[in-house]
Amino acid sequence: MGSGKWPKPFLLKLWALGCSLKLAIALASAATLLIMGGSLVMHYNPAIFSGMEQEIMGQWLPQAWSRAPLLVFWVPLSGLCILLFALNTLCCLIDWLTMLRVRWRKTGEYLVHAGFVLLTVAYLWGNLSGFRSGPHRLAPGDRMSIPNMPGYLLQLEEFTPQIEPGGRPLDMINKLVLWKNGRQVLQKTIRINHPLIYDGLVILPSSYGQDIQGFRFHMPGTGFVDLAPGSRLPISSDVTLVVHRFLADARQDRQGRVMEIGSRLNNPALQLSLLGPSGTIWQGWYFLRRQLPEGMVKAGIELRPVEPVLTTFSLLTINRDPGDKMALTGGFCITVGVIFAFFSFYRKRRISDRPEI
Amino acid sequence: MSKTLLYLLFTIYLMATSGYLLHIFWRRSFVAKASFVLIVAGVILQTALLGHRWWAAGYLPVTNLFATLFFFSWALALTYLYFELRYRIRATGLFVMLLNLVLLGGALPRDTTVSLLIPALDTPLFSLHIIFSFVGYAFFAMAFSIGVLYLCQAQLSTELLPDLPTLRKINEEAIFLGFGLFTLCMVAGSIWAHIAWGHWFSWNIKSVWSVLVWMFYAGMCHAKFIRRWQGGVYAWLSIAGFGVVLFTYLGIGLLLESNHPLE
Repeated sequence: MGSGKWPKPFLLKLWALGCSLKLAIALASAATLLIMGGSLVMHYNPAIFSGMEQEIMGQWLPQAWSRAPLLVFWVPLSGLCILLFALNTLCCLIDWLTMLRVRWRKTGEYLVHAGFVLLTVAYLWGNLSGFRSGPHRLAPGDRMSIPNMPGYLLQLEEFTPQIEPGGRPLDMINKLVLWKNGRQVLQKTIRINHPLIYDGLVILPSSYGQDIQGFRFHMPGTGFVDLAPGSRLPISSDVTLVVHRFLADARQDRQGRVMEIGSRLNNPALQLSLLGPSGTIWQGWYFLRRQLPEGMVKAGIELRPVEPVLTTFSLLTINRDPGDKMALTGGFCITVGVIFAFFSFYRKRRISDRPEI
Repeated sequence: MSKTLLYLLFTIYLMATSGYLLHIFWRRSFVAKASFVLIVAGVILQTALLGHRWWAAGYLPVTNLFATLFFFSWALALTYLYFELRYRIRATGLFVMLLNLVLLGGALPRDTTVSLLIPALDTPLFSLHIIFSFVGYAFFAMAFSIGVLYLCQAQLSTELLPDLPTLRKINEEAIFLGFGLFTLCMVAGSIWAHIAWGHWFSWNIKSVWSVLVWMFYAGMCHAKFIRRWQGGVYAWLSIAGFGVVLFTYLGIGLLLESNHPLE
């Protein structure tokens, strides 16, 4: 009798099944066929499956299952097949390890097995406890909390998009600082293919955009001046022009009320006031397509609109995969395993050491 | 790339294939030798053209349908040379070179201009991913050809083809090497995806089918141990596997929306 209540022959049979080559082929075939069919379901049902890339499996699957169980049943089923296949691979690996002295020539092949097991566990780990998020919009100087990671803050110090003369974006250079519980833990300049990687966290640039903050004017006698909300422009020793609001596309109704139509540059307007020593001299809206308001002309102001003042913001993707190091280890095992297997394959053929086994 | 050189390359391979065809009916060794020399010349010319495109572009130019067909054809010709030098397969080359002509013929009418590189592709990991992928595909194509010839030989028992044990040996070797190289392609691709998009595996259709190709051939590397499957079943599996490869390479890129489009 074996240990506990289980008879030894049963345990041996179970172990033999765990190490079974036919079981491995059956599980791999089942997973392959399920995923083949499932991939076509994916293609014809983008409404259900589009989130699969943006979210981790642990978040996507429960939502998708609640919406369309008949369309997504193949995902957990194929996942189960792969999991059992990985378990079978692990059993084979352990079985090989117990006979390492006589089967060491298969080291390469079994390193590939070990890598596959590590990758499967890493995928499960990352897809149950990680996250994928973004794009997060950050302008230079902005800080944000990292989602799902309390105590972590990300600050964008500088952002420089690199653009070809033809207008094609080449790179997005972001100088980032990562804070953990008020302490700076990492400072890194990231760009395409060079992300910030820290403790399973991957932060990478995904895109960028521009906001219109205000407008640049030419002021005879002074030169170019940028006016944006908060700007204060001294006109003379006792008169100052103050900018309150800037609207890229504004409209004025019959009652004189000004409202924002959109964020694209179309009919820009500035809400201004002129402050003198005894208070406000004039205040109102200046529509840049129209003439300068009379109050400003009376104050002797001359402004000629030149171009919008733009600020560039970065869009960042923030993902976390706690299993990434394990996956990398798996990838390393597989790479070394393949190289070993190539050498051992030819060596075994050269010495006629049953190369096919 | 000069279209003239491309047509010259096609003509060289066409002459080599015709030579192998002639060798079936007129069994003179110099015919087979001349065909082999033509293939060597073709590979040298194709390598030079590929090297020139790589040097001119500053990156491995395999980013559109012309370039992938051209690269696949080059990898297949090299793979054939490897097996020819190792096993002297001769007539077996006819089928492989016919496949090569189909690939190169598909590339001929297409635009040869090297397109600008998308910034995300500007990494050595991309080059490794592509090289391992297409050389792996070439070995799978070789296994497909050998699989077809194995089934022919099993029916015809002809002296024109190598014997069944040799064909089986070559088939298993092609699958083993193809699987190893495709595995390296997957590793390079996963590391690249992690640094470029923040995840090492994603459920997009190309990645999913690449995993399917990997699992299929992983299964085949194990299937050769099942005695009943050795030989005939294995040959059929090699043919089916190449169908999966073709769908992953061409079907997804041309028919479906994917992050690996072919234009």
